[in-house]
Amino acid sequence: MATVAVSKISEIDRRDRRFGWLLTAPGLASLTLVITFPLFFTVFVSGFDYTLLHRSFDTFIGIENYRSAFAENYFGEALWVTLKFVVAVVALEFLIGFTVALMLNSVGRFKDIYYLILLMPLLINPVVVALIWRMFLHPELGIVNYLLGLVGIAKVNWLGDPVIAFWTVVLTDIWHQVSFMIVLLLAGLSALPKEPYEAARMDGASTLQAFIHVTLPLMRPVIVVTLLIRLIFAVKTFDLVYVMTRGGPGTATDLISYFIYRSAFFGLDIGQASAISVLLLVIVLALTAYLYRYMRSLA
Amino acid sequence: MAEIRLSGVNKVYPGNVTAVEDLNLDVRDGEFMILLGPSGCGKSTTLRMIAGLETITSGDLYLADKRINDVDPRDRDLAIVFQNYALYPHMTVRDNLSFGLRLRHVPREDIARRVDEVAAMLGIGPLLDRKPAALSGGQRQRVALGRALVRDPVAFLFDEPLSNLDAKLRASMRTELIKLHHQLGRTIIHVTHDQVEAMTMGQRVCIMKDGRIVQVGEPIEVYRNPVNTFVAGFLASPPMNLLPARLEDGQGLSVVHGSLRLPVPAEFSASFAAYRSKPVILGLRPEDMYVPDAPGLVAVDVKVAAVEALGPETVLVSEIAGGAEISSRLGREFSARIGSIQRLHIDPRQMHLFDPETTSAIPRNHAA
Repeated sequence: MATVAVSKISEIDRRDRRFGWLLTAPGLASLTLVITFPLFFTVFVSGFDYTLLHRSFDTFIGIENYRSAFAENYFGEALWVTLKFVVAVVALEFLIGFTVALMLNSVGRFKDIYYLILLMPLLINPVVVALIWRMFLHPELGIVNYLLGLVGIAKVNWLGDPVIAFWTVVLTDIWHQVSFMIVLLLAGLSALPKEPYEAARMDGASTLQAFIHVTLPLMRPVIVVTLLIRLIFAVKTFDLVYVMTRGGPGTATDLISYFIYRSAFFGLDIGQASAISVLLLVIVLALTAYLYRYMRSLA
Repeated sequence: MAEIRLSGVNKVYPGNVTAVEDLNLDVRDGEFMILLGPSGCGKSTTLRMIAGLETITSGDLYLADKRINDVDPRDRDLAIVFQNYALYPHMTVRDNLSFGLRLRHVPREDIARRVDEVAAMLGIGPLLDRKPAALSGGQRQRVALGRALVRDPVAFLFDEPLSNLDAKLRASMRTELIKLHHQLGRTIIHVTHDQVEAMTMGQRVCIMKDGRIVQVGEPIEVYRNPVNTFVAGFLASPPMNLLPARLEDGQGLSVVHGSLRLPVPAEFSASFAAYRSKPVILGLRPEDMYVPDAPGLVAVDVKVAAVEALGPETVLVSEIAGGAEISSRLGREFSARIGSIQRLHIDPRQMHLFDPETTSAIPRNHAA
């Protein structure tokens, strides 16, 4: 009797599983087509001396593309610029985001309106954001220099000076992306239990002490997840640089994703670009894997 | 000295919702005071105002004769135990206990000593390195209590700390809290909606309803002389039977409800005289009804509706002919068939009468 029952269940199980595969097949097929295949093709290409001038897979050169990337100064430069950019953007967005989230969390009236205003930039396409700011910051025709002129400040060459251009891109990114931090951190703050704060008040904690000993530890998971997600996206930043500075002046804003684009479509060296793409993928994948494991450990 | 005095205290929430109205209460130094009432009666709000977690809309709050309306909670030196414990989830039990002391910059050795003392007192020594998530409800409750004890405050505020525990644990914690109060001699204000806690734990009980105090007194005094039908119907389980009745004048006064006719004892006659030929509410405690007859008791025949054998006692729910249902607490050996007629004997000297319009007790001038 028992064996009959077991085989019956497993028959149902099998049918369920087949139906499951049937349902996921279209999704899996399109994912393979647009993600898995390009991904493996990139890895494949990175092993060949494949350029747009010489489009053939007849010269397998192994890790030569990777080696030469590191040998080249410009790649190291791009890595360094990307690192500076990512740290600046994530750190500043976190500080501003957390401050605003804390302020909004204690706001009672018009919360929805503030929320809506703050969310606006996030809804704009990055290319549009870059175009808007490029126009605002135009040295001669931009409204920013005009307004500065009204209060007697000399014109600033926002995108023409290497140091200023880097910070201009950083600030534009902050303007665009800071609401992402605010929204996530605010969601975390409003989900915190109220009781430990009352207990802390009775225990004699000041507002600052309650923030350090209660808010921060309780917010830790949200903070880590928010930082990691933002980090992953910041590493991949492309649109802002493409529209605003084209990596310039010089290599001042040459982020790694733009560097890849340049090697592929200006240097025409697809093999080299693929190799750097794979390196970027490894970095992003490592961050994502850490994020995934951290989130699993919370559950 | 930790006398806590509330004088004309009001709490009005935005939108003109009055939570507490004209509260006057004097909690003596070292007293175990119970705030008792149904949910929404303002007892928790009152406690939170004393703690400083809620502002006082108007009126005065004194701690040891010092007005503390505007004193920050951390400077009041009171400790509260919350209903849901409110432990710090990210800290170990040890850190939960010591947090308040660390904030007050108590020397490290003193903290360790105090924590160990309190942990030993509450039997949570083996749990010190665990986090709250790894504790059972009863253990969390002890940690919450320990966090209050370790600071050695001038008074303790308990906000229904036992209500989340199962019945057995609640009974043992009740006993422990009574012992603890005896040991520490500190003022304790304990909020509860559980009338067993109120009867057993408090030196005095303050019964609240709709944001107002209804009656304050020793539990047994409140039980014996409830000031109105609310208190009569709230305390004890099953509570006092409240029956619509009339005060009739035959050979002397008697209270009539259906087929029940209770002659008013001579010593009450003068006090009840004003209600002659008027409707009243008759209050009879279930424990003042008996099966065997005895001198001075009045017999009434009732129809058995339900028999609840609780073990130590049996509660009989029955119907008075032409009247309402009543509960009586009878001996554990009592049994009866549902629907049968049972003769009960009621002690008229234990009758309470209430004015049906004001619901207030009609005073009876005798010593019970």
